[in-house]
Formats: sequence, C-alpha cells, structure tokens
Amino acid sequence: MFANAIAAERFRLLRDRSTLFWGFIFAPLVGFFLSIAGDIFLRQLAKKPLTGMPLDLVGQVLKALGSGASVFPALFLAIGAAAVLAGDYRWETWRLLTPRNSRPHLLGAKLVVVGEAILWNLVLTVGLTLLAGVIGASIAGKTLVVSGSGAGLGQIAGVFAVTWLEAMTLASLAAVIAVIARSPMGAVVAVVVVRFVQTILAAGLGAMAPEPTWKTLAIPAYSADLLRGFLAAPNHAGLETGPVGVALLVLLAWAAALAGGAILLFQRQDLTRE
Amino acid sequence: MTIALEAVALTKAYGSVRALDDFSLSIPAGGVFGVLGPNGAGKSTLFRIALGLVRPTSGSASLFGAPAGDMTSLRKVGAMIETPRYPPYLTARDTLSMLALESGTRDADISGWLDRVGLGGAADRATNGFSVGMKQRLGLAAAFFTRPELVILDEPTSGMDPAGIQEIRALVVDLARKEGVTVILASHQLDEVRRVCDRVAILSKGKVVTEGAVDALTASQVRLRLVASPVEQVLAVLGEKGAADGPDAVLADISRSEAPALIRALVNAGVEITEARWREADLEGVYLQTLKSSGAA
Ligand SMILES: Nc1ncnc2c1ncn2[C@@H]1O[C@H](COP(=O)(O)OP(=O)(O)O)[C@@H](O)[C@H]1O
Ligand SMILES: [Mg+2]
Repeated sequence: MFANAIAAERFRLLRDRSTLFWGFIFAPLVGFFLSIAGDIFLRQLAKKPLTGMPLDLVGQVLKALGSGASVFPALFLAIGAAAVLAGDYRWETWRLLTPRNSRPHLLGAKLVVVGEAILWNLVLTVGLTLLAGVIGASIAGKTLVVSGSGAGLGQIAGVFAVTWLEAMTLASLAAVIAVIARSPMGAVVAVVVVRFVQTILAAGLGAMAPEPTWKTLAIPAYSADLLRGFLAAPNHAGLETGPVGVALLVLLAWAAALAGGAILLFQRQDLTRE
Repeated sequence: MTIALEAVALTKAYGSVRALDDFSLSIPAGGVFGVLGPNGAGKSTLFRIALGLVRPTSGSASLFGAPAGDMTSLRKVGAMIETPRYPPYLTARDTLSMLALESGTRDADISGWLDRVGLGGAADRATNGFSVGMKQRLGLAAAFFTRPELVILDEPTSGMDPAGIQEIRALVVDLARKEGVTVILASHQLDEVRRVCDRVAILSKGKVVTEGAVDALTASQVRLRLVASPVEQVLAVLGEKGAADGPDAVLADISRSEAPALIRALVNAGVEITEARWREADLEGVYLQTLKSSGAA
C-alpha cells in the first residue's frame, strides 16, 4: 500500500539527521544569520538607532519565500532530496525494500516525503524570517510594520505554494537523475546545474522579449517568478491572467512529467548491484 | 503439491555472460531446499529474478503460481539476498521497524526477533558499526520477522566465523521447522547444504546439472572400490571409468551388472584383487562429479 511506503520513508528520513539538517534546515538558518548580521552591520554603520525606518514583515517573508527555490537553497534542497531518492542505490538497500512494496509506491513515497520536507523547509524559512525581522528590528531600532494584514496572509500562502511547486519540479528532476545515475551525487549536480541554467535562460530570453512567450514560460523558474510577481502584487502586475494560468500549468506539467518519468524508469530498471 | 518457486526456461544475459541459461527448476513448498553451486553459477540471479529485482531476458519465474515480482506473491516471501546492507543511520530495531512499516505489518515482535538472532544487546546500535556476521543475523531477522511462507536465503553464512556459522545453521533449521516456513538456501558450501537441506539442486554456469533429495543423490552415485595390484593395470582396463583412490586402490564408475565381467577381466589379466566393495558417494562426491561431467570443475 502507498500509505505504508510513505510511513516507512518518513520514519527513515526523521532518523537521518544529517540529511535533515543539510538538506532542509541549513539554508534557512544561513538566511536567518545573514539577515541578523546585516542588521548588526547597519547599526554599527549608522552609530545610532534607525528609528522610524520601517521593516515590513510581510514583505520580508514574501522576499524570503520568493527565493526559496533559487540556486543557493536549491543546492541544499537537492542534497536532501537526492539523499532520500538515491539513498537506496548508495547504500545498496533497494533489495531490502523492493520485495515489500511495489516500485511505483516505493519511489512515489520518496517523492511525497521529499515534498513534505520541502514544505517544512519553507515553513522554517517563514518562521526564521519573522524571527530575524523581530530580532533585527530591535538591534537596528527599526519600526516593525505588517502591511495589508489579511491580504498579506493570502499573498504569503500563494507565494509559498508557488515556491513549493517550483522546488518540486527540481525534486522530480532529482528523482529522474537518481534513477538514471543510481547515485545521489549525480542528482545534486544535475539539479544545481539545471536551476542555474534556468536563471540564465530566463534572464536572457526575458531581456529579449519583456512579455512572456511560450519559450520563457516553459522555463519553470521564469513561470514561478511570473506567478509570484502576480500574487505579490495582483493590481500592479499588469498581466493578463492568461500567461499566469499557463505558468501554473507549466510548473504542474514539469513536476508531474518528471515524477512520472522517474517512476516509469524505475519500474523497468534491473536492480542487480544497485 | 504446492510449488513455491518455479523457473521455466529462464535466461538472463549480461552482455555475453549468461548468468542463467535456459534454466528450469521447480521447488516444492515445505522443508529446506538447497541451491548449490560455485561462485558465478547464477544463484543470486535466480533469486533476484524471483523477487522482481531483475527482469529475465527470456523465460519466466513464478512464486506460488503468481508471476515473479507480483506483489501478491511477494507478500508471502522474506529474503536475504547476498550480504545484507542497511541504511547506516538506522539502528537494528529501527531497520526492522522501517521494514514492518513498508510491508504494513503492525504486530511484528521486533524485540523478540532481535533476541532470537542474537542481536538483543545490539538492538539500539546503528547498523553502521555492525560486523558482517551481525548484518547477516539482522538479515535473517528481516527475512523471517513478518512471518512469510517462503524465505529465500542467499549464502546466509558467508563472511562469518565458524561459531557463528554453526549458530546460524542451527537457527535456520530451527526456524524452518518451528515456523513451518519453506526455506530456499543458496550456498557454495557442501557442508552447509548437507547439514541443513532436504533437497538440493546443483547449479553450474547458469544451468541445473542435477536435482533431487540429498539422500537419493548420494545413493545414486555408488562406485566400486577395488584394492588391487598392480593399480596401473586396473586403470588401463577401466580406461575412462577408473580413478585412482590412494596408492593401492581404484574407484570404478560402473553399474552393478558390469561388476562380474570387470572382475573376470582383471583376474584374467593377472591382477590380484584383495578387496572389492560398493561405496556410496557423499554429497561432495556428487557435487564434484556432476560439476566435472558438466565441464565446469
Ligand atoms: N550486474 C551484472 N553485470 C554483469 N554480470 C553480472 C551481473 N550480475 C551477475 N553477473 C554475472 O552473472 C553470473 C552469475 O552471477 P550470480 O548470480 O551472482 O552467481 P552466484 O550467486 O551463483 O555466485 C556471474 O558470472 C556474474 O559475473
Ligand atoms: Mg551469489
């Protein structure tokens, strides 16, 4: 049963402390400490409290979530995802698991658990960003503000979902590469390279054509940015809802196609020496 | 009679190497069945196909009548394939807990099984630091603890010290009896198979060279042992069918009905026969003989 496989994967990941830390906790922590260090630096530079300077918590959270699947966090998410998805090749433990559940369930459960871990990673990002805001404001003497309260929550939820989906396109890619390369290392490298190339391509193609085109929309990072931009400022986005819908479909399609491909490849794979 | 594992014309090619070559075998449910063969004979490949880890190039395998790799049949099987490996960050107990979750077994007596295989004291240590023998013990527990109908053990004592080997063999026999489980045990050690198994198939180069009850196999290969002189002359008369057995004896690979004629011929040739008796081969004899006649030894 699929639920059994998910329970087993979750049980495992919760006991794999180094994967949990490096994959899903480290990057938000780095963001937290960098933010506080920035405020300490600012306070030193200004030599007096920056009273009156506003610090918008909603804006901070949207910014942090917006870059939650960019190259730097993607590197660490890839480390975590690859450890889960390719761990059984690395430890040669597929032969322990495969007779106990079907292959689609086994790999599908890994993707589900990676999805959960990414979700918690983003929750941690939100929490640490808020904490860094509060601590940073008291260090630098800034004034905390919470813009647009009710609408702000909706924006955060939307941006959260888009970034999660963007991260899942990368996790599904990690799954495909894990199965093909039979090693976590290959999956990490592939994810980071692909994420980096997306940034370059999105910037390059975006500069040539400011309006979204089929080409740019096909790039998950571009589509995710488009969606986040739309969600964060629905009134000012100046966009038709058409491209926004396409962008969402593109992200869903990439994640589903890559995940499906990984499962299909895994199902047909010989596990001889793993 | 229920068939636990059946292979029909199974072939698995790795490039030019045929790990299994038109391999057919039928293993009945009940008792301990030995799969004996030198390294590279195809034992592990057979099991990997049966468990759905590897797909055959051609032919088919089934467990309890269902196609190999089918979840309905795999639910009835526990297995330990080659030297077991585990996620290094899990303890022995957590490894079994994870496997129980994976197969949806809620009532497994994990502590009891760890005690039974002699890992009670190491239950909460990470498997990372386990010796090969400890990993094999955990592998046995993992194969048996969800109460399968069939347990496949692939060289369960390889890499263990002699005391551990004795203990594991006794454990396998005990479990097979008490749990009423069919056990298929692969080994390249004759001694192991002789002590543990009721029936055996001898594999070589991806084929079954002989198969049957251990007793029947050893009884089928009787030879006439002649103590005589000169030995050279006996060997000359026997040709292909003779083999020296020490300085003054010869083993004659002949049937009972050929014996009077042989003895007459030897006496006529001036050979002095001091002793002639039928000797049953042991499993080692059967093994070496079958491998030799299949051209693999
Ligand atoms: N993944 C593989 N790639 C290439 N050759 C393999 C592979 N797995 C097994 N073989 C070959 O198949 C043959 C049978 O191997 P195996 O089934 O492991 O034998 P046994 O378990 O009896 O020692 C050997 O010659 C081995 O080298
Ligand atoms: Mg083997």
